[in-house]
Amino acid sequence: MKEYKKIRILGTSDLYFVYKLLKVMRNPKTKFDGKEFAKKGEDYLFNYVDKNLGGVDESRRNFLKGLVFGVAAATVIGIIPGLRVLVPPVQSVTGFPKTILLTASGTPLKASQIPVNSPITMVFEYPLSGEPNFLINLGDASGKPVEIPPTTVTIPQTGKTYQFPGGVGPNKSIVAYSAVCQHLGCTPPYIHFYPPQYTTPSQVTAAEPNELSAAALIAARSAHIPAVIHCDCHGSTYDPYHGASVLTGPTVRPLPAVILEWDSSNDYLYALGAVGVATYPEGSNGVPSQDPREDLDESQFGSPVGTSSKISEINTFGSS
Amino acid sequence: MSNKKKFSISDWLNERLRLDKLPFFRTPDYMYNAATWLGALVAAAFFWQAITGLILLMYYDAGNAYNSTISIINDVPYGSVLLFSHLYGAFAMILLVYTHMFYNYFRGAYKRPRELIWILGIILLLLTLGTAFYGYSAIGDVLAVSALDVGSGILSGIGLGSLVPVAFGDYAAGNFSRIIGLHVALAALIFLFFALHFFLAEQQGMMPPRSVRPKAPAIYAEEEEKNFNPWWPRNFVYMLSLIFMTWGWILIISNSLAYLSHYPVYLDPFLNPRPAPSPTSPAAATITAYPPWFFLFFFKMADFISSFPALVAVGAIPLIWLLITPFIDRSDELHPLKRKVFTGVGILMITYMIQLTIWGAIAPAKPATPEEITLVFLPPAIIVAVALPFIKPKEDIRAQNRGLGGNMQFTYLAMASIFLLSAVLMFPSPTLLGIVTSLVLLTGIAAYSDKVFPTMKAAGTSAEKATTINVSLERKKKLAEVIIAILFAMSVIIAFNMWTVPPKGFYSNLFGIDLGLIFLMLGTAISLYHYVVYKK
Repeated sequence: MKEYKKIRILGTSDLYFVYKLLKVMRNPKTKFDGKEFAKKGEDYLFNYVDKNLGGVDESRRNFLKGLVFGVAAATVIGIIPGLRVLVPPVQSVTGFPKTILLTASGTPLKASQIPVNSPITMVFEYPLSGEPNFLINLGDASGKPVEIPPTTVTIPQTGKTYQFPGGVGPNKSIVAYSAVCQHLGCTPPYIHFYPPQYTTPSQVTAAEPNELSAAALIAARSAHIPAVIHCDCHGSTYDPYHGASVLTGPTVRPLPAVILEWDSSNDYLYALGAVGVATYPEGSNGVPSQDPREDLDESQFGSPVGTSSKISEINTFGSS
Repeated sequence: MSNKKKFSISDWLNERLRLDKLPFFRTPDYMYNAATWLGALVAAAFFWQAITGLILLMYYDAGNAYNSTISIINDVPYGSVLLFSHLYGAFAMILLVYTHMFYNYFRGAYKRPRELIWILGIILLLLTLGTAFYGYSAIGDVLAVSALDVGSGILSGIGLGSLVPVAFGDYAAGNFSRIIGLHVALAALIFLFFALHFFLAEQQGMMPPRSVRPKAPAIYAEEEEKNFNPWWPRNFVYMLSLIFMTWGWILIISNSLAYLSHYPVYLDPFLNPRPAPSPTSPAAATITAYPPWFFLFFFKMADFISSFPALVAVGAIPLIWLLITPFIDRSDELHPLKRKVFTGVGILMITYMIQLTIWGAIAPAKPATPEEITLVFLPPAIIVAVALPFIKPKEDIRAQNRGLGGNMQFTYLAMASIFLLSAVLMFPSPTLLGIVTSLVLLTGIAAYSDKVFPTMKAAGTSAEKATTINVSLERKKKLAEVIIAILFAMSVIIAFNMWTVPPKGFYSNLFGIDLGLIFLMLGTAISLYHYVVYKK
């Protein structure tokens, strides 16, 4: 590089440099140390010039540093509300929504078109997605719809009771219960409705998920009901005619019921809320809350179903 | 010094971490410019991807890919800020990887002794594109599923159908575990190869400009390197400014696009940060499937190369070329105009890729006639083949050293790109695009490959420089200081504004724009600080 260097005579900028250098050398804060210079020689001089003149002097540099740290601090302060990105959104609804039930094709479900004692399980999600409920049109052994009167349901685990409002629809025969077994949380197809033609001794030897335990059968006979809701996981049995109260264990809680409303003018069905225990028992002791609204702020990470929910059909018994 | 005992964070850290003894390349003053630091820009984009990607991973549900993507946008606080900037961070990384690669291709940086760094770089390009493919597919929308269908089709088409379950899993049944798994695994591989690539580059040192080392092997002698700046603190400061500026632009662009509407449909692959409809929704039937823009060139090629083995073979040609370049270009010449075959092929690679990408966007899945294909591919080849032999490298370095600003090259390329973009918007024709692109690249290389770094002369010792106090530089530094103070005031205002933006819904992307602006300000403030403190 040396070969390209121009030869220069002292210019104004050099004089200015000398003036500045002398000023800095006299300044007590940045005093030129003669002893150091004698010891280290050239290196000290160059470093000294570089630090105090070539670059930017210490206080100016610190002031700038302060400003840059200020921008950095503003950045950190700005990011703080953004940390909410780490908080998982808890899907909750403040209250139970009024939700119209739709058929699988999306049209409103007509109550009078729900088959009585249907072997095909009808399920709808409410109040959050991922929370299935049975929709059943109950009939007697001959397949005629029966009126389901309001009943008082007992929770065996706590001995407390609650009021089941009864069936709705043209024959007051339509009921809806949570399809999550209160024993260990099995969902359809393992838990489903056994209509009268399947609440028979021949089901005792049927394959999963259609097996019916002998105990369930005996309990149904002694309660004088033609059909049951039975869970094939561990054999819990519920009485759909009396608010899904417990017929056989191992469950110690009835299925919560969904409160339905029937609009007689257009035959539509709406879900309004729930009654009974909470679908998901709180706490490690498994003692249920008596308030179904507990489910709404429980974080199950489903999203609210909103104002409509579609029925899906699960055919456990097959075409036979 | 009389104030030797004064406490300084920098000295405190240095004493404990031995930062000035890090085995990193000592950097000469004339290397503090964006072109030399393109690799750092790629790394900055990659770090942004790692940060946002790991947060997204906490919300992504491989069994429910589409719904969880939509839920990230709508339900997670600032989820759309996160997701859109992850998408455009990937786009930025791909663009920067290509820029970094071609910059070093034209400079001959792959020559001795940097052949292995180059090959690691090509592997990183492939890993980046692979990760991007899986990331794009993880969205689970109708476009993702069609991209996966095409991927499976290509694998089956070249006789590797048995690998489809290995590469993509059971995505058709809605299980995206393998897609997201391989996305993360490939990203981890990028990190591994990046570490190797980086440390090798630091060991060889950055490649000196041709005015310092005109011939390969272009490395600094050890005694020479001793005079340069140690990594701590100057490179650290400069690196921080580049990282924050990169993050700032990624955030600003991605979140602004959330508010952009009314643009031509064919720009959708570039400008729309939102997912397409779900593959199971009725709207999916009305969607013309297109791949992500960085695979549009390949997609367009499929329109006139119908057999999959042939398509893969043609696609592999540029890749093989890039891999073997260090071993066939064995001269010690670094000047692009003294390696005309390689320069010409490089220009054509860029031109064809841009052409095919735009062509794929304006005429997706439309068969091309032989005449059209000729009109697209022949003119750039003729232009390069005819013009390149006539452009002579200018031998005398001193004669070239006229006052071109340090960033002229970038200004030129940026202006040319804007011109190109507007030309394409007005006359979307791949033929015209090919002619203009090849001409821009040719003139760019002809005019600027001889440019000498303006600070090159200042390679002496620091004392020599200190003897001249540049008055106009002092004035510029004063201005820089004023700007830093203004940036501080503005950043405080923006920081407070960020507290008022709602975390969900339409306005939430304003948070992303704010965050981008504040990062950009921080990067700029650090860069100006670097200028004031170190510029000589």
